[in-house]
Amino acid sequence: MPDSSPTPPKKPKKSPPPAAPEVPAMVSADGAMTPLLASLNALSNGRLDARVDVAALTGEAAEAGRLVNLLMDRVESRVAESEVRKERTRVIVEQAIGGLDALVRQGELAAFEARTDDAVLSPLLDGFSKVIETLRTFVREINEAALRLSSSANEVLAASTQHESSSTEQAAAIHETTATMEELKHASAQIAENAGAVARVAEETLNSARSGRGAIAEFIQAMQQIRADGVAVSESITKLLRRVERIGTVVDVIDEIADRSDLLALNAALEGSRAGEAGKGFSIVAAEMRRLAENVLDSTKEIKNLITEIREATAAAATAADASRQATDAGERLGSVAASAVEGILSGVQETSDAARVINLATQQQRTATEQVVASMGEIEDVTRQTTQASKQATGAAAELTQLAGRLSELIKRFKAD
Amino acid sequence: MHPTPLQRALAEAPDTARAQAARPEEEFFIFTLGPLTMAVTSQHVREVTRLTQPTPLPRAPSFLVGVVGSRGQVLPVVDLLRFLQQGEAKVLGGARMFIGESSGLIVGFVADQVVGLRRIFVADKLPPPAGGLAASEFLSGLVQHRELGTLSLIDLPKVMHAARALVVRR
Repeated sequence: MPDSSPTPPKKPKKSPPPAAPEVPAMVSADGAMTPLLASLNALSNGRLDARVDVAALTGEAAEAGRLVNLLMDRVESRVAESEVRKERTRVIVEQAIGGLDALVRQGELAAFEARTDDAVLSPLLDGFSKVIETLRTFVREINEAALRLSSSANEVLAASTQHESSSTEQAAAIHETTATMEELKHASAQIAENAGAVARVAEETLNSARSGRGAIAEFIQAMQQIRADGVAVSESITKLLRRVERIGTVVDVIDEIADRSDLLALNAALEGSRAGEAGKGFSIVAAEMRRLAENVLDSTKEIKNLITEIREATAAAATAADASRQATDAGERLGSVAASAVEGILSGVQETSDAARVINLATQQQRTATEQVVASMGEIEDVTRQTTQASKQATGAAAELTQLAGRLSELIKRFKAD
Repeated sequence: MHPTPLQRALAEAPDTARAQAARPEEEFFIFTLGPLTMAVTSQHVREVTRLTQPTPLPRAPSFLVGVVGSRGQVLPVVDLLRFLQQGEAKVLGGARMFIGESSGLIVGFVADQVVGLRRIFVADKLPPPAGGLAASEFLSGLVQHRELGTLSLIDLPKVMHAARALVVRR
C-alpha cells in the first residue's frame, strides 16, 4: 500500500530535466507557435497526454508539433512500458516483502516465493531465496535438534531424577546396611563370647568324660576281679560240698556202727538178763553202752541235719555265686557299653570343643571383617551423600536444560519451514 | 577224772537183793509199735535184730507178715497190732525185730523202736480193762510208767501159741 507513493516522485525527477529546457525555446516564437507552446506548457506541467494541435499550425511549427506529438507518443509508450515494468517489479517486490514480512512476523519461511526475469532483481531474489532456503534448512535442523534435545533433556531429567531417588534410596539402604552391620558386629561378638563359653564347657566336659572313662575302666577291672573272685568262690563252694558229702559218708558209717552197737548192747543186756543175778552188772554196762550208742546216733542225726543245712546253704551260695557271676557279666557288658558311650562322648565333646574354637576364631575374624565393612560402609555413605548431592544438582541442571530445550522448541516453532 | 561208764553204772546200780526182798519186781522188754508202748517179760526175748523185708507167705493170716532168715533159721514174723486187731504196723527203715522164745516156739515180732529193759514192781501192775475185747485176752495187765506212759503188758507165750494155733488151723 505505501509502495505506490515512493515511485511517482522518482518519475518526475527523471523526466523534467529534458522537458524544462524545451519551454523557454518555444516561447520565443511568434503567435504562430502558440498552440505548440500551450501544448508544450501542458506537457511541461506533467500532462503527458497533452498533444500539439498540428492542424492549427503551419509550416515548421506544424512539423515541430508533429515531431513533438511523435516524441510524446513515444514518451508516453515508454512511460506506459515503464509503468508496466514498474508494476511488475512492484508486484515481485511486494511478494518478496510479503514473504519477508511473513518471515519476520510469523516466521513463515515456506511462503517465500519470488521469481523474476528482471536481470537486476533476479540476483537479489535468488540471493534472498538462497538465504531463505538456508534459513529453512537451519530451522528444520534446529527444530529437529530442539525436539531431540527436548526429549533427550527429558530423558536426562528422568534419568537424573531416578538417579537422585535411587541414590537417596541407596543412601537409606546403606544406612540400614550400616546399622545391620553394626548389629551383626554386636551379634558376632556375642557369638564369639558364646562360642568361648561353649569351648570352656566342652573342655570341662572333656575332663569329666576323661575321668569318667578312667572310672569305667576301673569299674570294668573291678568287675573282672569280682568275676574272678566269684569263680574262686564257686570252686571253693564245690570243694566244700565235696568235703561235706564225704563227711556225710563218714557220718553214715558212724551211724551204721552206732546202730549196730545199739543192737549189740541191747542183745548183751538181754544175755545179761538171762544170766540172772550173775549177769546183772553186765546188763547194766550193756545198757550204758546202749545209751552211748544212742548218744552217738543223736549226734550223727544232728550232724546229718547240719550237713543238710550246709548243703542247702552251699546250694544257695552256689546260686548266689551264679547270680553274682551273671550280674558281673552284665556289669562288665554295661561297663563296656558305658565305656564306648563315654568314648563317643569324648570324641563328640572333642569335636564340639574344636568346633567352638573354630567358631570363636571365625567370629573374631568376622568381627574384624564386619568392622572393616562398617568403615567401608561409612565411606560409601559419604560418597553416596555426595552422589545424592551431585545428582540433585544434575537434576536441577537437567530440569533447567529441559526448560531451555522447551524454550528453544517454542522459539523455533515460530519458524515454519514446511 | 570222769568215771568210766562201767564204774558209773555199778555205782548207780541199786542193791537189788535188798530191794527185791522188800518189793518184788519183774524185768520187761519194752518197745513201741504204732500208737502203743508194749512190754513183754524179758526172759521170753532171745535177741533183737534189724527187721529185713520179710518174704510174704501165701494163704497166711494177715498178722503173719512173712518169714525172714536169722542165724540159719527161717522165722515167721508177726505183726502184733494186726494180731491184737489194733491196726497194722508200718514196716519202715530202721525198724526192729525181736525174737520171742517160748517152749520151743521161736517167732519174730515187728517193733518200731526198742526202748530197752526195765524193771517194774509187780505191785504196780493193773488188771487189763474188762469188756471182752479180743486184745484183752493177751494182755496180762497195764502199768502207768512215769517215764514211758501207759505200758501194755503182753503175754508173749500166749500170743505165740495162739498164733501158731491159728496158722496151723489154716
